[in-house]
Formats: sequence, C-alpha cells, structure tokens
Amino acid sequence: MGMTYIPTTLSEALHLRAEKGARPLAGGSDLMVQSKRGIGLAPEFPYDVMIITGLSELRGIRTLDDGSVEIGALATPAEIAASDIVPWHVRQAAAGMGAIALRNTATIGGNIGNASPKGDLPQPLIMLDAEVVLASIHGSRRMKLDDFILGSKKTALGDDEIIRSVIIPPHGFTYLFYRKIGMRKANAISKLSLSAAATVKDGVILDFRAASGAAGPKVIRSHEAEDIIRGHMTEELPSIMDSFLEAWDGAISPHAMPLYRRNTTRRMLSYFLSAIHEGAAEGIISEEAE
Amino acid sequence: MLSKIVFSVNGRKVEFTGNPLTRLIDVLREDLGLTGVKEGCGEGECGACSVIKDGRLVTSCIIPVGAVNGSEIYTIEGIRDTEKGKCIIDAFAEGGAVQCGFCIPGMVMAAYALLEGNPHPTELEIRKGISGNICRCTGYDLIVESIKLASEKGGALWA
Repeated sequence: MGMTYIPTTLSEALHLRAEKGARPLAGGSDLMVQSKRGIGLAPEFPYDVMIITGLSELRGIRTLDDGSVEIGALATPAEIAASDIVPWHVRQAAAGMGAIALRNTATIGGNIGNASPKGDLPQPLIMLDAEVVLASIHGSRRMKLDDFILGSKKTALGDDEIIRSVIIPPHGFTYLFYRKIGMRKANAISKLSLSAAATVKDGVILDFRAASGAAGPKVIRSHEAEDIIRGHMTEELPSIMDSFLEAWDGAISPHAMPLYRRNTTRRMLSYFLSAIHEGAAEGIISEEAE
Repeated sequence: MLSKIVFSVNGRKVEFTGNPLTRLIDVLREDLGLTGVKEGCGEGECGACSVIKDGRLVTSCIIPVGAVNGSEIYTIEGIRDTEKGKCIIDAFAEGGAVQCGFCIPGMVMAAYALLEGNPHPTELEIRKGISGNICRCTGYDLIVESIKLASEKGGALWA
C-alpha cells in the first residue's frame, strides 16, 4: 500500500509527483469508489497518492486574452455548469453529470485523467478542440485533449506531470446540439452521447463538427467525416448526408450494444443536419422539451 | 505538506491525524458519533450520507478526510435544532414524508441545500434537488410535498 500526501502548494505537488510518483486524487468520486473496501475501511492504493483538493493554483475559470476559456483542473461540474463564460456544450455536459452532490465533488481534471470512454466532459471538449495544460517541475506543455486521451483509461500523462487546466478556444457556432442518453436522469453513466455544432453563413456550412461519447474506446471525432459536410451549401445536405453518416458510422466502434449505439448516433446526427437543412432558427437544436 | 487535517463539524473544531484516505463518513460516524449520517451504497449514488460542505451538498462516503482541510461541514445533527432545520423536519413529519427513515437525514440535507439557494422551488426543481437521494419506501411524492410545505411555512426564513 502506498503513502498518502497532502501537498499545500502546486510546487510541492509537482515535487511529490516527480520524486515519489504520487498520483493526484482531486474530488475522489472515481478513485475513492474504484478502491473502496467497505464500511469503516479507508480505500487502499497500490501506489503513492497525493490529495490535491486544496491547491488554489488549480482552481477557477477565466477568459484569456485571445478569447479562450481556461478551466482549472479542480473546477467542479457545478462550477462549470454555472459559469457564463464556459461554452454551451461543456456546460450541458457538466450539468448532466451525476447528481447535485457529485457535481459538487468531481473535478474536470479527474474526469479527463480517468479517461473513461463514458466520461462526460472529454466529449464536448474534444469537439471544441480543447487543449490540456500539463505541469511538471520542468515547466508546462499544452496538447490537444484528443491526443492526450489515448484510449480507455489511457492518457499521455508523463510520470512527472499533473493536469493543470483545460483551455477551450473560442467558437461562434450558428447551430449547437448536445445529447446524453442514460438509464435515468440523475446519477446515470452515459450510455451514449453526442455533441455537434455548425457555423453557417449565407447558406454555406463554414464549419461542422461532432464528437461521440461512449461509442468506442475513447471519444470519437472524425475530421474526414466532418470534411464531407464542410464547405457545402445547406441545400446540398440531402445529397451528402448518407455519405457523411456512413463515414461517421465507420469511425465509431461501439463494443457493447453496437446496433443500438450505431442507429441512435445516426439518428441524432441526421436530426441535427436535417434541422440545419430546413433552416431552423439559429441556436440550440433541441429534440424535445425537458 | 499537511500532517494534521483541521476542519469544523457542526461549528466544532476537529483535528484529524490518522490516515488521510479515511472516508469522511467514517470520521463523522465512528470518531464523532454523528450516526445521523447513514451509509447506503458507499459509492456516492444514493445520497444517504449527504452532508453540507462549505455550503454545498456532498456525499461523505466518497470524500477522503484529507480533502476537507479548512472546510465547514454540517450534518443533520448540526441543523436539526436550527430554525431552518426544524422547519424542514416539522414539514416532513406533518407531510408524512417518512416511512423507514433511513434516507431521511440525507433527504433533509438535500432539502436544506435546495431551499438555501432557491427559497421557493417548483415541483420539478424539488425533484431535481433530491434527484441524488434514493428512497425505497415512499415513492417520493410525500417527500416532495413536504419540501414544498417547508418552503411555504418557512416563508421569510428562506428568503
């Protein structure tokens, strides 16, 4: 069983990471459950752990000079959902995580670091081309979240690094779509999720993008499929829809219930694209009332 | 580096020097004798162990005590004799919200956190407010009605 440390500064945490290989525990909502041993017993980990919940350097949500939004690794889903500077898709995903108590406990850093294909936040973040900022005693580096998450429970995090923040570049989408499907509304792990967005000007689809959650070993984004749509006129959508849906279907690789996940993904994407084709009012394309 | 975890529970200072991974629920129940905090699922899913940490509802079974240094924690024992606490508990009694009672301390804490932020919630907002708290007896309706009653009877208390 490993040692447990409680660093009080980021610098202390980075040294513990580099020298002891201690792994960060932020909210605990994944790790405490994964390693639980029952009533009256503290969880045990086979490695050193550092509880980083108190590190103020990793808190807060701010707008950067270039219009990007930086979310500190310790920001909770409740804070993200309530923020008026965080992009809509990410707020939607945060608002649908767990129930109130979990949203007050979990962190964006943990949700990314855990790298579950069913994790709620990586899906919209990858669609938005978000980057992670990784810190170590040698400095920090930025990389695309899509490159950081390698697969189910696998990331490119270095042995001496911790996730410091997430940076989301600015976008000006005309149409937005988000859907999470779970067994119930509260405390549901995602069965399938989808974010999509499009920028349309004078009938031309300047930008189109999507991301599928819980439909493969990691969040699936297919730039090749997106390129089938990009640059076309909205009136051309009916003629290119099928080849796009085929390409997206070829990109996702759902392991369990593949037929259900493939059909439902197809339906959500075609619903969104049809709304754009039919000239829906700008803004959020929603499927139904609450 | 912290070697001692200092926080407050129901307004009382607590110092903890044991294993920082000890679950908050175990410190509350075993060390402090606050057995109103119930353990249901042990995975943060059922809400029976709900407490208020720095003004926000959390499930104490998934929080290591090492994560609450400097925090203010309130359990059912800390609010039951306050005006607001009594308002909710009386409304639960009057509205017949309680059957076996196991989920009720967590329900009361969730109702407390809800009314603190939203003094006059709609039925949907009440249902969302307790959506992380599972009750196996009541079917929820009487709990929802009792929270509505607490909101009405409390009046200016929540405003």
